[in-house]
Amino acid sequence: MYIQSVIVTICTNVISVVGLALLTGYTGMFSLGHAGFMCIGAYTAVLTHLHLGIPYLLALLLGGLTAGLVGLIIGYPTLRNRLRGDYFAICMMGFGTVVRLIINNMNNPIVKGSTGISKIPQLTTLWSALFITAALVFFMWNFVHSQFGKNCLAVQQQEVAAEMMGVDIVKTKLISLVISAFYCGIAGALLAFWIQYISPNNFTDTKSNDFLATLVTGGTNSITGPVLAAALITTMLEYLRFLANWRLVIYGLLYVVIMRFRPEGLMGYREFSFRGTLRFFRELPARLKGIREKVTGRKGGV
Amino acid sequence: MKRILDVSALTIRFGGLTAIDNFSMHIDEGEFVGIIGPNGAGKTTFFNSLTGNVTPASGSVNYCGTSLIGKIPSRISQMGISRTFQNIRIFPKMTVLENVCIPLHSKPTYGLFPAVLGLKSAKAEDERIRDEALSYLERLGIGEYRDYEAGTLPYGLQRRLEIARALAAHPTLLLLDEPAAGMNNDECRELVELLKKIHRECKLTVMLIEHHMDVIQPLCDRLYVLNLGALLREGKPGEVLSDPEVVRAYLGERRKRK
Repeated sequence: MYIQSVIVTICTNVISVVGLALLTGYTGMFSLGHAGFMCIGAYTAVLTHLHLGIPYLLALLLGGLTAGLVGLIIGYPTLRNRLRGDYFAICMMGFGTVVRLIINNMNNPIVKGSTGISKIPQLTTLWSALFITAALVFFMWNFVHSQFGKNCLAVQQQEVAAEMMGVDIVKTKLISLVISAFYCGIAGALLAFWIQYISPNNFTDTKSNDFLATLVTGGTNSITGPVLAAALITTMLEYLRFLANWRLVIYGLLYVVIMRFRPEGLMGYREFSFRGTLRFFRELPARLKGIREKVTGRKGGV
Repeated sequence: MKRILDVSALTIRFGGLTAIDNFSMHIDEGEFVGIIGPNGAGKTTFFNSLTGNVTPASGSVNYCGTSLIGKIPSRISQMGISRTFQNIRIFPKMTVLENVCIPLHSKPTYGLFPAVLGLKSAKAEDERIRDEALSYLERLGIGEYRDYEAGTLPYGLQRRLEIARALAAHPTLLLLDEPAAGMNNDECRELVELLKKIHRECKLTVMLIEHHMDVIQPLCDRLYVLNLGALLREGKPGEVLSDPEVVRAYLGERRKRK
């Protein structure tokens, strides 16, 4: 049961981080508020299921769609006015906080404010989580390798030229924001039907930051990188639970080490493949030698 | 002959600085027109105003009978104006081939669902676009570099890549902003031959900003000389380049303070 719980948590993190990978990694827009979309997805799915009797899978989809719609509403004015870089990230942080505070203060018997909603039926199973995650990762993989994904990359790498080559900047950014919001919404809904209890405090800024950190660890221009990173980091945090708060120190140190020695993330601009992994291990001795030379500052006795 | 571009009384201001002052010009279909002038004359600003990156303070810009003022760059690109940049702006982390594919699918040629599901029809469409992009690379003589990361190419090839990418946008009017910058004499001659060939084969109308006179002279039918944002001379290259005013503007005269 415990292992199952870890795997479902990994699944939800993978979905969110893959969604964020499109926005941040491919389109080049930082967001510090994607937990807000998770929150919207979770509440929409749970409330429509409990009060309107919408079946589980449809509720998940509805959660994702609502999050996507909210993404469209928040994205249109910000992107239309050419908000970018830090400004966009902070705007999204504000959005995440606003969502959490609004739900916190909705003290009616349906939303239940900061008390949260408990006794949610556990409809997410290990298999449904795995299946949905696999499907969403597969869709994202296709998307980033399609014409849409290439246009996103063009916007990230050279916005002025992309626009001059006919790419509609606002539309491209908006599509990637809406899709990433949709992914986070589904992740939130999936999680809610597993842990059986949601409150706005499940979706704080820390969660948004974690997504961003995981994404950067995995490598921004890759799909498999963030998937691996989400899996590894979630597992690590679970198995280091006995260290109590010290695990957060290790977590922080891990990021420092990665930023210092591998700023492009685990996979960087590449994708995971078994052939590549084999090659990596074959070349490992040579690499380690190189690192040792770099650290000691010597190269072959010179 | 059909008039492609008609600019009249164009004025562009950046705060207190008048970058372009009451400039009028026109291009007919199939012409090869050069724009020259000392640094800071406003040549690139003029291009930026045509492509929608800069909004003019006054004046009109008509392209094939439609006004370009207030249109966004992506729209203008789809109307058939394409350009290269003075400071190279390729997509550095994409391959050379992917760079040229971008203008071919800037408006995706299939919908979101075929893309997400990875349908065969979408894949076939991607293949078709790659083939077309490759034909542009080959026309510019850089087909063999198709799988290189664009940012790693040497400078001269990056310039060629920019031209290939600009052509892939299917332009009627091509704007070239200093394509020979940083090239030596041999490379300049090669570029001249290349541009002649492209101009002829693609039936383009071309506007060229350049400082190398040995690129300007063999290519351009007409020249406009800009100085301090205003039109100094207009005419055939031979006449314009021997004009004492033009020579003085180029060789330097202290900027007159009003």
